[in-house]
Amino acid sequence: MNNEEYEQNYEYNNYNEYEGHTGDPTLDAEFSRQQFKIPETVKNFLVYFRNNVNEGLVFELQSLYELSWPKLTEDYFEKRPWPEESEVAEIVDADPVFMILYKELYFRHIYARIQGGPTLEQRFNSFFNYCDLFNYILSASEPVPLELPDLWLWELIDEFVYQFQSFAQYRARLQKKTTEELEMLNSNNKVWNVLCVLNVLHSLVDKSNIKQQLEVYARGGDPDSVAGEFGSHSLYKMLGYFSLVGLLRLHSLLGDYYQAINVLENIEVHKKSQYAHIPACQISTSYYVGFAYMMMRRYSDAIRTFSSILLYIQRTKQLFASKTYQHDQINKQTDQMYHLLAICLVLHPQCIDESIQQTLREKSYHEKMYKMQYGDLQEFENSFVYACPKFLSPCPIPIGSVPDDYSKEAIVHQTQVFMDEVQQQKMLPTIRSYLKLYTTLPLNKLATFMAQNNRNDSQWDLDKETQTLLIHLLAFKHKMKNMVWSKGASGLEGKFQSGSELDFYIDNHMIHIADTKVAHRYGDFFIRKILKFEDINRKLHMIRI
Amino acid sequence: MAETMKQTVATMLSGIERYNPDNLPTLERYVEMQSKENTYDLEANLAVLKLYQFNPHSFNIEIACQILLKALTNLPHTDFILCKCLLTEKQLAADPINQIIYLADILEQCDFQLFWVRIRTTPELTQKISGFLDSIRKFVCHVVGITFQTIEKSHLIQLLGEIEEKTLQVWVKKYGWKMEGENLVFIGNQDENIKTKNISEKIDFDSVGHIMASCR
Repeated sequence: MNNEEYEQNYEYNNYNEYEGHTGDPTLDAEFSRQQFKIPETVKNFLVYFRNNVNEGLVFELQSLYELSWPKLTEDYFEKRPWPEESEVAEIVDADPVFMILYKELYFRHIYARIQGGPTLEQRFNSFFNYCDLFNYILSASEPVPLELPDLWLWELIDEFVYQFQSFAQYRARLQKKTTEELEMLNSNNKVWNVLCVLNVLHSLVDKSNIKQQLEVYARGGDPDSVAGEFGSHSLYKMLGYFSLVGLLRLHSLLGDYYQAINVLENIEVHKKSQYAHIPACQISTSYYVGFAYMMMRRYSDAIRTFSSILLYIQRTKQLFASKTYQHDQINKQTDQMYHLLAICLVLHPQCIDESIQQTLREKSYHEKMYKMQYGDLQEFENSFVYACPKFLSPCPIPIGSVPDDYSKEAIVHQTQVFMDEVQQQKMLPTIRSYLKLYTTLPLNKLATFMAQNNRNDSQWDLDKETQTLLIHLLAFKHKMKNMVWSKGASGLEGKFQSGSELDFYIDNHMIHIADTKVAHRYGDFFIRKILKFEDINRKLHMIRI
Repeated sequence: MAETMKQTVATMLSGIERYNPDNLPTLERYVEMQSKENTYDLEANLAVLKLYQFNPHSFNIEIACQILLKALTNLPHTDFILCKCLLTEKQLAADPINQIIYLADILEQCDFQLFWVRIRTTPELTQKISGFLDSIRKFVCHVVGITFQTIEKSHLIQLLGEIEEKTLQVWVKKYGWKMEGENLVFIGNQDENIKTKNISEKIDFDSVGHIMASCR
């Protein structure tokens, strides 16, 4: 879903609270509800929706979910919540399962569209509704007779993690809370508790045997052979799979990159598989995997992950054009990944696909990369903060703390860790730019260059400069030799490789440099010319004389 | 000891059990064991930091320090960064964690001479970790091994922390390096691994077959 956008809307709308409204979102909602009568179209839709859920007509549900719901939202509920639980219960004969599903959509819509965002009470109720839903699915002694479209299942899990994230951010903004709100938060520590969220995701993974299924599938076997009673049902299987991606996201938000990658064991991110058919899920997976790799200084792996998914997005862009709410999210995440890719390529220059390179040459990316190459630390930080996930602290702020805004602490910390790394590598681009010009270069000559570059006066000692240079050269080799995955079930595996385009070694006092030379490409050129020629030829044939 | 412990701990790390704070005492004992017996288990150590993240009141700075130092012994792997990301800004600023952060910073920048100076002024910082200094020397040898074809002997001695001639011989032998004359050490032939790459486009018949066929 359009999560990051939601967050922005929410923050933006917070400012609006001070202008003209009663200030209490519940009262506002109450007010608009009194004036609103549910239109017949919506009533009919809800009944039809319920019938389809009960009969498990997945194809019909898919169009109701992907087309009708957004359409009706646009027509009638652009700025107001969908009808209250009690009103809808009357219409659909209080069908329990449908009501849970309806409420999930109802709250999701409030998070997305309603001014001021969800109230504390709504956040709590949404959580309890998720509990009802997952209890229904997980505590059944046999698989529940429910079938939902895969896109819905993905967005359900993604939204669940998003609402947790949103709650953690909300809870950390102590400065805007009333005493009652603080009391309610403190006395309900179990609501949106991180352990509870982890527990749900792990339970869905376990119930579906998805790990075993993926293992068998990776070995070329039939996953159904180990799926078990629950895991062979599409609902459980896909919820299990999406929960793994949910865990990836959750671990990333907590700064636990090791577990983030670890949880995707037996999933090959770039490979087409029977589980990988929801574009939004694929894109989100690659975003978090690439990000985790970048933080672990596995630049080659990060670059491979980002370019592969960006290429996929480039090629399938038309597919997303119709569904706008997904499109926004995908666009945002794409832009973030280009930023991250740009960062990785500055730190670890290497050849990438031509069409991705083309995009990086355009737009604002080029200027940003240029600035970063010239050691503009602020640019690194800006790009990082823009492109990183919304990190959070898992625990509530201790009772009695100064009423301040603590929601940025986690992001500041992760940024600092990343900037420490950038700072350590600060000299490398300069050294690289000199080395690029030579195939062999004596140490003291390079030391002279560096000294002249860094100091304006001539007060420097060559021996000392050479010592410093040697340290930088060692750091260059160390930082450019990283773990790179090539095979194996876990993305954590790998071997040390120097994947960057420029490499060197030192033989006593002489640096020997190995660069990567890319020959001019002609394939693309010829293909374009051939197509053009064919086009002209066809047009000529059409001309009747 | 640590080996048998590894089995017990593995069950504590699977699934949701990983987040059970009741396991913390056992896991912390396991960290102490690693420090004493010079073994290493990154996954278990990260699980400890994760439990601290979820239960800030249980934070034990003593154990956290050992975990961070153990992570340094596994350089050039980036374990230290993984650990850092699980702690908070405040925890990192606390003494002596800030000193360990400083050590990590100079090691990551390969300023080994400075590192040894620092170690000599604060020997008690790393004393608890058995084999710590030799682990760092291993890292030094790794960096030297990927950087040099031949290196001056005096420079190598500096990088390894002013070690004695006899000790140097042991390291040289261990990595299969060779003494060359009085003051050079031959590390290995680098020109085999590090050479200029030429990337040229290779188009095979299969990939052009399609477009050729459509052009008839």
